[in-house]
Amino acid sequence: MMDSTHRVRRRIAATVCAVALVLPLAACDALTPGSATAVPGPTSVPSSTAVPAGDVTLHLQFADAPLMVDALIAAFEKDHPDITVEPQYKTFSDYVQNLKLTMTSDTAPDIAQYAVGMTDLAADGHILDLAPYREAYGWDEAIPPVSLDQLTAGQTSEATGGRALFGVPAGLSMTGIYYNKELAEKAGIDAPPKTLGEFEKQLASAEDADLTPLGVGALDSGGLHLWAALLNQLMPTDEYWDWVNGRKGATMENPAAVEASELVIDWGRKGYYNESANGTAQVDSTAQFAKGDSVFLINGNWAAGQLATVMGDNVGFFPMPGEQAGSPTVASGFSVSYAVSAKTEHPQAAGAFLDFLTSPEAGQIISDNGFMPPNPDAVKKPTGVLADIAEGHRRAVADDGITTFPDFAAPAMLDRLRSGVQKLIADRVTPADYLDSLQDEWEDHHGE
Amino acid sequence: MGSRPPVRNREARRRWRGYVYVLPAFAVYVAFAVLPALHTAYLSLFDWDGVTLGEWVGLGNYAEIFQDSILRRSVFNALVLVVFFSFVPIVLGLLSAGLLARYRRPGMGAYRFLFMLPQVVPLVAVGVTWRWLYGDDGVVNQALRAVGLDSVARAWLGDFDFALIAVGLVGTWVLSGLCMMLFLSGVQKVDPSLYEAARIDGAGPVREFLSVTLPHLRGELAVAMTVTTVAALASFDIVYVTTNGGPGEQTTVPGLLVYRLAFSEGKVGLAAALAVVLGVLILAIVYLINRLSRDRT
Repeated sequence: MMDSTHRVRRRIAATVCAVALVLPLAACDALTPGSATAVPGPTSVPSSTAVPAGDVTLHLQFADAPLMVDALIAAFEKDHPDITVEPQYKTFSDYVQNLKLTMTSDTAPDIAQYAVGMTDLAADGHILDLAPYREAYGWDEAIPPVSLDQLTAGQTSEATGGRALFGVPAGLSMTGIYYNKELAEKAGIDAPPKTLGEFEKQLASAEDADLTPLGVGALDSGGLHLWAALLNQLMPTDEYWDWVNGRKGATMENPAAVEASELVIDWGRKGYYNESANGTAQVDSTAQFAKGDSVFLINGNWAAGQLATVMGDNVGFFPMPGEQAGSPTVASGFSVSYAVSAKTEHPQAAGAFLDFLTSPEAGQIISDNGFMPPNPDAVKKPTGVLADIAEGHRRAVADDGITTFPDFAAPAMLDRLRSGVQKLIADRVTPADYLDSLQDEWEDHHGE
Repeated sequence: MGSRPPVRNREARRRWRGYVYVLPAFAVYVAFAVLPALHTAYLSLFDWDGVTLGEWVGLGNYAEIFQDSILRRSVFNALVLVVFFSFVPIVLGLLSAGLLARYRRPGMGAYRFLFMLPQVVPLVAVGVTWRWLYGDDGVVNQALRAVGLDSVARAWLGDFDFALIAVGLVGTWVLSGLCMMLFLSGVQKVDPSLYEAARIDGAGPVREFLSVTLPHLRGELAVAMTVTTVAALASFDIVYVTTNGGPGEQTTVPGLLVYRLAFSEGKVGLAAALAVVLGVLILAIVYLINRLSRDRT
């Protein structure tokens, strides 16, 4: 009895202590999360291209293509002996998970690879608006404007009044379909398809020839490329952009998206995918395709170097074809791009490095490393599958048809897309429910 | 009258002296465990993306948690994992303890060492290895095909019906050794004469297990249940490395969602709220386990 009253009294005391601790916390504004991160100082770069004299060290944090970055830095330092660039490599997932902490810390790198989380950072002034450089350096001539427009985070520029710019692309990417030429011939396929309907017929004839028609690595993000590629052909590009950019009233619950989702289900029912698509990572599906396990493979240009090495002339590439032979070429793509931290003490030196990325010399390095340079005219013509990709990209750029990946619509979208497409492939969800889950996430992020 | 207060003082001082010795450890504990936990609870009251100014939403995040079907699904998955992480390993551990208890056998140390091994390997490495084993051309499928079960073979971690079981079995593999080791060491504390006495009374292996071995293992059983249940409910690394929650939401667990919400989705407040709920749930279950194991004495 004595013991239990004691215990009760202790419990009351503990509760009172806890409440006493939390109450003043709630009352204190300084403790509000995020209140200490507002950035003083300029949020955009100066408009001059001059680089002050004197030794400068820039820290560059990145996640893609370390060999390419090393080569770019070496070439840049030769041109600018006063500027040293210190690269800091992180694996992609590490990089993305830590991006916000890194960029809001006092030791933020001067230059950082652009990734999905940059939108929030830009909104809060942690990333410099590069719009003044866009004009001063004339980047619109060196880089296709569509590639720059992907890097605006949907904002306008306070410095120039035009659209803001939060990064400069070094290598461009695009998704599409690889095909195994020998296997395609075996299935009676003699040329890349000109329409989506023709592609479906080719998948069917590959199935008839007892081959696995299409390799998909849907364990990670590989499945989303398939869905997005079909969506790109069926949904008007403007509406897609509105949705990705979070424009008010945009929706993914539309007939075109339903049709694209139905196609993913339908192809699964017909057995067009590798049997374990949902249990296969994207890199593994690429390795299986290289071994000859499927006629077609959906992936991006980042796999081209590996496939060209293993398969030589036996591999080709085409962007997912549109509904009609004359339809514009539309494909998901982004870039390995670099942004400048608002904490940098050397915005001009950073500007010089970004501008170097647009030069023909940098373009050649980018091309040699399997990526597409922002300005393809300035480099030697690639051969084999790399030439197919360059040609596909040229057409897509000419048609204004490079769209960002759909997960750029909201930070949580990648998870919805990944698990949703897995369900489509396994025929476990209706298109309506799938699109509803995407739109829910979208409203959650962009809603008033 | 006059001599009592000093005595009480001295007694009181003695009673408090213990706390002085504990103080340094306690301070560290408060700084690195209690305050962060309180801070998490505090953050759970905000809508915060991790960068911009947070907005006070009170208990809104908690309301959102209980309405979210993915979150409910994740709790269900965690409870399924309890079967594989806790129930099965404990049964296996008891079985092997029962089999080995009757006689002192040589090589017990080696035996314990072998079964302890999975505990020593980092869980991320365990996950990566099992992902290979379960893969399309992995050892599991090779074995199935070798015995003619081609139709059963599949990429287990990508299969909607089997992914959760496949992940659960990894946990079984890891935690069975721990349970066995705990029970075996428990059995070794039992006075051999008890077994002799039981045998003289005509007890068979089953009777012996129920009357001698099991009652002596009550303490170990409580520890095993606590540790494995917490491992199941707080599971993250194995799931993250093998399936990342897929296919669909078949293997999504609360720990994974906390991580995703906080670090990739920019919903720090919601993640904190979910972490608090998960913590409370774990504490409640551990309390229940301890309560039950105590009541039986």
